Amino acid sequence: MKKLSFLLLLLSINFSAVAVETAPATPSKSDSKNTPPISATLWLERLSRALKEINFNTSFVVVKNNQAEPYHWFHGIDENDMELEIFATLNGPRRDILRKGSVISYIEPEVPPYSVYSEQISGPIPAIFSGDIASLASSYEFISVGRSRILGRVAQLIRIVAKEQDRFGYWLWLDQESGLLLKMAIISRKGQLLEQIQFTHLEITDKLVDTLQQLQVAELPSVIGDVTSYQDQELNWKVNWLPSGFKQVKSNRHRILATKQPVEFVLFSDGLVDVSVYVGTSRDKQRDVEYVMDGATLVLNQVNNGFEVSIVGKIPSATAKAIADSIRLK
Amino acid sequence: MSESKLEKVSSLVDNFRDSNTQNEALFEQLNSDNALSETWSRYHLIGDVLRDELPSEISLDLSAQIAQSIAEEPTVLAPRKSTLYRDIKAKIVQFSKPFGQVAIAASAAGLMILGVQQNVAQNDVIMPSQVAQTTPLAGFASPVSFNTQSNTRLSQKQAYIEQQKRFQALLSDHHQQIKFSVPRNIAPATLSTKKVEDSPK
Repeated sequence: MKKLSFLLLLLSINFSAVAVETAPATPSKSDSKNTPPISATLWLERLSRALKEINFNTSFVVVKNNQAEPYHWFHGIDENDMELEIFATLNGPRRDILRKGSVISYIEPEVPPYSVYSEQISGPIPAIFSGDIASLASSYEFISVGRSRILGRVAQLIRIVAKEQDRFGYWLWLDQESGLLLKMAIISRKGQLLEQIQFTHLEITDKLVDTLQQLQVAELPSVIGDVTSYQDQELNWKVNWLPSGFKQVKSNRHRILATKQPVEFVLFSDGLVDVSVYVGTSRDKQRDVEYVMDGATLVLNQVNNGFEVSIVGKIPSATAKAIADSIRLK
Repeated sequence: MSESKLEKVSSLVDNFRDSNTQNEALFEQLNSDNALSETWSRYHLIGDVLRDELPSEISLDLSAQIAQSIAEEPTVLAPRKSTLYRDIKAKIVQFSKPFGQVAIAASAAGLMILGVQQNVAQNDVIMPSQVAQTTPLAGFASPVSFNTQSNTRLSQKQAYIEQQKRFQALLSDHHQQIKFSVPRNIAPATLSTKKVEDSPK
């Protein structure tokens, strides 16, 4: 009880903070003398370029579930135009992500270190931010809201708002000077703050920092063989309803690492949000729908006639329920 | 202490004076009479509360009282364990074990339970809201007490641990699968060659 009330208190504090920041949101033409006003889409494209091209060294905290997870984030470009990147958790067991070009290594306590070939890092910052962020325009609207002060810098607030009611909104505060991300918040349709990332330090350098120079010479764990081979397995059920813009990324059969439970699995994405659908058999005959939230990530689980259906993703519970209810045998 | 004297103190506090001579006498008494001077300060405190002029901290001088009661307490060189103490300890051990497990499971999961429907009969009636509920529906967060636990509560706790494990496993599998997915949404080469300057006014 005490914890919960504290959580609510924290939420309300966060809210008032958000309210204060958005109060002077109406963009005033007068203070934008030095830089011409640019559209929200261009701000986002600028962000994605900045995340790819700038050498930066930054720290941020992910705030969710009444907890703060601090990270260090290094990014740089070496002489051969190769991207070097490090995400490192600062609290608890090491959970690092290293990147050299298109080889990405994950160092986690549960499994031995491994690498994969990929163009994107699956970390706390949505990968699309450094990709083709403008491609989100089919399902989201970009709204340039106004300026505020974040991390002691002038920041532009851009909201990524879903066109339909079935997704959360993303608020990004971008650095006026460099275009880099200074703060991000995931907001529910009712305006509730679910998860946020606050940068606490930002340094932009001309040269690679020492840590990245060490990464240059470091040997990464061996790359796991071709993961594409089991990407698209035919399953005998399908999801009949998805929010607009979601496409199937892959489907497979695997065992869940922690429970060793065999499942059939499909991953969907609209570019920004990933949604996993799991179907498997259960020992229970019937279990009613249960929801849990980890920050903005919702987990739905239910058992119907011995079949267990789970949905995981940063979506509202009503959306997850609608997806779960639309699953049918082919 | 007489009623009239208290009334005089009260009117003095409220700045109503009768005559100077009377006041002189009252001041004398205030200085000499401990009880009366306490009344005086108490009246001021009441006045402050009524006028909403309280300082952020009120120091009611507890330290003197505590020091006094410590001094009065007899020194016990080798305290004997009372039977009451033993009983409580035994119960704490018995209780803290299952509760500890829940605490570990909960902290490992670090999840926020939104709502769980336990009733099988009403299958599709309620859609739990997204707001964190202050009253847990599943009854796992029962208040701490020394009462013996019923079997249902234990099994509920077990179910809760199972549930947490299940959710945690799903979450980490979700993150794992995203890491393994093939590259998608890779930025077209053209994007990176665009200049910042090409922004329209």
